[in-house]
Amino acid sequence: MSTPALKVTNLRKVYRKGTVAVDDLSLTVPQGEFFGFLGPNGAGKSTTIHCITGIANPTGGTIEIFGLDAVKNYREARRLVGLCPQEFNVDPFAKPADIVDWAGGYFGMNRAQRKSRVDYLMERFELTPHLKKTFRELSGGLKRRVVLARALVHDPKLIILDEPTAGVDVELRRVLWNYLTEINQDGRTILLTSHYLEEVERLCRQIAIVNKGKVVREGTKSEMAATPGSLERAYLVATGAEPDHVAGQ
Amino acid sequence: MSAQDFTPPQGDKMGVNWIGLYTIVRRDVQRMLRVPIQVFIAPWSSALLMIFVFGYVLGGTMRTIGGHKYIEFVMPGVLMMNIITAAFLQSSSAIYFSRFIRFVEEMLVAPLSYLEMVVGSLSTVVLRATFTGIGILIIGLCFGATTIESWPMFIFWIVAVSIIFGLAGILIGLWSKSFEQLNMPVVFFLTPLSMLGGSFFTMKMLPDWLHWILWANPFFYFINGIRGAMIGVDEAPQGLSIALTLLMIAGLGGLVWRLFSRGYGLRE
Repeated sequence: MSTPALKVTNLRKVYRKGTVAVDDLSLTVPQGEFFGFLGPNGAGKSTTIHCITGIANPTGGTIEIFGLDAVKNYREARRLVGLCPQEFNVDPFAKPADIVDWAGGYFGMNRAQRKSRVDYLMERFELTPHLKKTFRELSGGLKRRVVLARALVHDPKLIILDEPTAGVDVELRRVLWNYLTEINQDGRTILLTSHYLEEVERLCRQIAIVNKGKVVREGTKSEMAATPGSLERAYLVATGAEPDHVAGQ
Repeated sequence: MSAQDFTPPQGDKMGVNWIGLYTIVRRDVQRMLRVPIQVFIAPWSSALLMIFVFGYVLGGTMRTIGGHKYIEFVMPGVLMMNIITAAFLQSSSAIYFSRFIRFVEEMLVAPLSYLEMVVGSLSTVVLRATFTGIGILIIGLCFGATTIESWPMFIFWIVAVSIIFGLAGILIGLWSKSFEQLNMPVVFFLTPLSMLGGSFFTMKMLPDWLHWILWANPFFYFINGIRGAMIGVDEAPQGLSIALTLLMIAGLGGLVWRLFSRGYGLRE
């Protein structure tokens, strides 16, 4: 059996003010998987992702990325991960190509590698006509494209997408879905969080549902859909929401 | 499944991420050049006014100090005041802005060590301080006030003081939770201490009972050091000034290193 792309064991994160955001969360994402990570707002999805990628310090537990400890061997582990965060954590006065180029530089890509990759991503995400604009001058959808391009610049083995299609138009959603499917088929592992269940149903094969900092249900998409009848109902039952209104529809 | 099994080479420890480090400098320089008036024109015009008013106009009426015209005596102080401010503002604003907008996360998720982040940030600080200093030296030349007795010591003081205030700026940038807090050190420490650090007067101009104001002020040693390198006039032993400066670099560097490794102000 191959090393999992991501293995989170008994992860715990308590913030300074005492809020327990993640509590004994364990998760395994096999290589090549398209993995859906679902849960209501405040369930601990983003905190888990922040612990995996180094934005947050875990309070306890272990995180392994392709077998590398994400805390002890953080530099080696981070080379393998690309993060598209939920919020736009970007210098608003920088231009799209610079933002993506800098990210490539942080990951140690040389000038020729960056140039070729940045050109490809600008073209692929239809950002070429907007190269002279600063990030703050872009529309919400274009901003999302820049952040995605930044996450993918170093061609990571594990791609973590935290609500990548929140607030974007149908066109970009389709461009993104096609691209993600393509790179997943190419062998990249993808962890996706989304509030759009149809998106998860369309893209993901494995799903974990998290609530109050714990994984409350995990399985394949077909298992989830079979019991209790649809992914939406499975989600509502797992998160403790009342499923009656769904049943009544 | 189409995935090919991937196993990262074990024990494949990364060396220095030179490209990453250079990218930090490149990005900060690009950011700096977006606001050239704030970064370069403001200190140069402030230095021009100080040299003109204190050095040329008032200094013309004053006696020489250690065989040097007053304008030559003032010049190192003016230079050091601006280098201190430039170094502090560069690192404090870069760190604070990147935390405030959260684009510091771009570096946190990348394979960059804490040392590379700090060195990258300080390199830009030294660059900014050096360019600020070069501009002021040229202004001084126009007034016939620029002399350099020892280039190695002159460069040492520019770089060492830039690093000290670059590190201090990083600390304030990490600690600040508002722009108000970010500006507090300039108002309450940098400006008063540099004015009282002997930029415009010698120790002999003060009554004996006030000499402690200079001895207790770290800025005095920086100004004394660069004045010694420029015109050969110093009021404190150069060895003491150098030792205190190196000690401050070690202390502040250690503190910044510790805070970065804990993720203070950076990681959640």
